[in-house]
Amino acid sequence: MASTSRGDALALPRVQCPNHPDAILVEDYRAGDMICPECGLVVGDRVIDVGSEWRTFSNEKALKDPSRVGDAQNPLLNGGDLTTMISKGTGAASFDEFGNSKYQNRRTMSSSDRAMLNAFKEISTMADRINLPRNIIDRTNNLFKQVYEQKSLKGRANDAIASACLYIACRQEGVPRTFKEICAVSRISKKEIGRCFKLILKALETSVDLITTGDFMSRFCSNLGLPKQVQMAATYIARKAVELDLVPGRSPISVAAAAIYMASQASAEKKTQKEIGDIAGVADVTIRQSYRLIYPRAAELFPPDFKFDTPVDKLPQL
Amino acid sequence: MDSSNDEALDIIITNVVATFRVRCHLNLRTIALEGNNVIYKPEVGKVLMKLRKPKITASIWSSGKIICTGATSEDDAKVGARRLSRVLQKLGFRVRFSAFKVVNVLAVCSMPFAIHLIDFTKKNRPIASYEPELHPAATYRIKHIKATIQVFSTGSITVTGPNVQNVATAVEEVYPLLFECSKPLCK
Repeated sequence: MASTSRGDALALPRVQCPNHPDAILVEDYRAGDMICPECGLVVGDRVIDVGSEWRTFSNEKALKDPSRVGDAQNPLLNGGDLTTMISKGTGAASFDEFGNSKYQNRRTMSSSDRAMLNAFKEISTMADRINLPRNIIDRTNNLFKQVYEQKSLKGRANDAIASACLYIACRQEGVPRTFKEICAVSRISKKEIGRCFKLILKALETSVDLITTGDFMSRFCSNLGLPKQVQMAATYIARKAVELDLVPGRSPISVAAAAIYMASQASAEKKTQKEIGDIAGVADVTIRQSYRLIYPRAAELFPPDFKFDTPVDKLPQL
Repeated sequence: MDSSNDEALDIIITNVVATFRVRCHLNLRTIALEGNNVIYKPEVGKVLMKLRKPKITASIWSSGKIICTGATSEDDAKVGARRLSRVLQKLGFRVRFSAFKVVNVLAVCSMPFAIHLIDFTKKNRPIASYEPELHPAATYRIKHIKATIQVFSTGSITVTGPNVQNVATAVEEVYPLLFECSKPLCK
């Protein structure tokens, strides 16, 4: 009874060697024994074996590792949350007589991070709608976590901050999406996303590259079903137009849309301004305005090896 | 630099915003019913009063705080503020004009050359920001004089700052940067 290492509140009997009460017993878990190191006496036996209950072979690659429990952690984003939760029951036994489920109170797992987890879910939903790859989603999550921890934008709706983070992540990865595209998958207005965008850049003290016309060409042209030749021609036209500064003060999206219009009208696949406006998110009068600016120099804007279906002087003039 | 040019740049002040207090509680209903040229906004809790000369609009709150906008110079703002308190005095309130402060000055200026915004933004990366999707101008914020300059591709700029002196300094400071990115005058 002498060697209780803890305080007297726990008066549990501890196994000890009768000859050497002060010796610390060595545990042999394979055999389930507690052995005294001084004299070798086996003091306790039938100790519960904590080894694994299955055999693992080295050459067998099991898809799931049976010694691991639970989902893969997300340590970067959650801070190591290891609690176990009681989920909603299935089957009849989980409901009591009134039809309410027993164990209805799911312990709140981590109330401080719950808003963040909600936002991650929202980000994932939004990104899924426009088929964004995993790396952009991860970057968005990281940005959101940084902004959230900084708390400088605490008053803003989380969805707005999430949408703005998504926009920034797409920009940073070199595949920008227009604000209107992000608006289409989010419930937040373009104005609010724009405001949050500026605030986040200031809060994180980063800046993003400027958008160019070429960033959107492949997406818009594929959505319109234009062949590769037309897409390359449109990219060339838009780049040349910006270089020659024919369209000062126009948004790159409008210039891109006008270039696509010009290229498609010169090829066999003619698209109307309305179709292009629908895909690009610009009004067709805007396309008309930009088109009027690039029309006078149309001949020099086309790439040298372009095959014209409609010659340059027959291009529509609006 | 600006001083070495033959023509000086015209900085036109378009708006001066000032706040002041009248040090007494105002009954907005009385002002709304008896004042001339007033608009009452009960959902917000203020009265808008427009003066003809100097041409200013004032937002009057019941606490006695008044924001006066639309003036074209700092002196004009002060004259307008005093005239406004006189009107309130005539309506029967015991006003004491105090705490007059010019809060914001907006000025426009036109450069004799067009500006290449993309070059300008690239050269002044963290301080200048340009989002063509959101606004057609590039925004340049000067922290130490607390002025914001919006640069348009046509060469016009708008400057906002806490007082007229800051605005002038801001224009001086930004001129050489704009000149670097100017487009040739013949286009």
